[in-house]
Amino acid sequence: MGSSVSLAAAPPPPVAPPPALPVGLAQVLPQKAEEKGDGKAAPEKVDWLDLPCPVPYEELQREALMSLKPELFEGLRFDFMKMLNQRFALSHSVYMGSMEVPSQSSDVIKVPSSHYEFGANFLDPKLMLIGRVLTDGRMNARVKCDLTDNLALKIHAQLTNEPHFSQGMFQFDYKGKDYRSQFQIGNNAFYGANYIQSVSPHLSLGGEIFWIGHQRKSGVGFAARYNTDKMTVTGYFDQVATAQVASTGIVGLSYVQKVSEKVSLASDFMYNQMSRDVTSTFGYDYILRQCRLRGKIDTNGVVGALLEERLNMGVTLLLSAEIDHGKKDYKFGFGLTVGE
Amino acid sequence: MASKVSLKVKGKAKAGKGPKSKEQSTCELVKEWTTWAMKKTKVITHYGFIPLVILIGMNSEPKPHLYQLLSPV
Repeated sequence: MGSSVSLAAAPPPPVAPPPALPVGLAQVLPQKAEEKGDGKAAPEKVDWLDLPCPVPYEELQREALMSLKPELFEGLRFDFMKMLNQRFALSHSVYMGSMEVPSQSSDVIKVPSSHYEFGANFLDPKLMLIGRVLTDGRMNARVKCDLTDNLALKIHAQLTNEPHFSQGMFQFDYKGKDYRSQFQIGNNAFYGANYIQSVSPHLSLGGEIFWIGHQRKSGVGFAARYNTDKMTVTGYFDQVATAQVASTGIVGLSYVQKVSEKVSLASDFMYNQMSRDVTSTFGYDYILRQCRLRGKIDTNGVVGALLEERLNMGVTLLLSAEIDHGKKDYKFGFGLTVGE
Repeated sequence: MASKVSLKVKGKAKAGKGPKSKEQSTCELVKEWTTWAMKKTKVITHYGFIPLVILIGMNSEPKPHLYQLLSPV
């Protein structure tokens, strides 16, 4: 970046990778912008005092998760979303299939289950209300309210009829010029906070801490994200400390490359300190005109794919497959989505 | 009914303990009230959130008709 044909009188000092010293560079940069008048598009002048706002901390890995964690399901799924208004919609959803019951042994135990879910959505630019209720009485509620231009309140609650199984979480998000911070309060005395800051037009760094009172667990995490138009690299490092057990940690890295407008490839690496387990996932995401195909393959021997094909105006066919060669668990699902 | 229960407990606590009882019972009172409030909020949210969303939605512009709420078309 520092080597360019110098037509102006004073050559700039060599600044090939911009170091993180905003004060010194801000005086130098205007000259640099005038210099680069050669054929290709002039690279953007880096204004260190006007960096873009970073993505929210929980969406740090959103490109990777879109490709590598598609919503695979087993059984029949039918979703119907009916818009009554531009902002108000009702949704009906039917699911029939097997749900996996977590078991201690290596056997996979599946229990057939079915449910009907009714939901109501109200989406306003300032207020978003989403409620879903299932036939077994479980309710899922989400509220997102913009209190001011920069401060947003999010509430997420999962309520059940069984006592002590309900969960609720309040999140206060503050969006600054080039940073975001969030404070969370949840049930079971859960308190958390996270903060992410842009340090360059492409790089943002963040950290989080949380504390769970009832289980005496506390955790610290750091994350970094480097983002350009073509690729995204993220890394994170979490440490969780419990009162009785020694601390555990997770280290992860992900890389997403947007090969073209229609294709992107992703890979992910995760190391779990407690179980000394390493998992690596590779995935692809094809966004074509009529369909979207996502697939992944894992080092645990799991291969999965999800196809969403738009058949007609508003009707989408879903086909999902997940084969776990290690546990010999095969899940195939199909579904239809009507409406959005 | 809930307030009767809390008065009873307060009476018991005062009788049982010594001069520190006043501070402790205030603390316990606050805890009890927050627990009672959270339980009531949970029940109200469980039954009332979706009707609230539907109410807000039916009153937003342009107002949808009632039959649109129930018909599958």
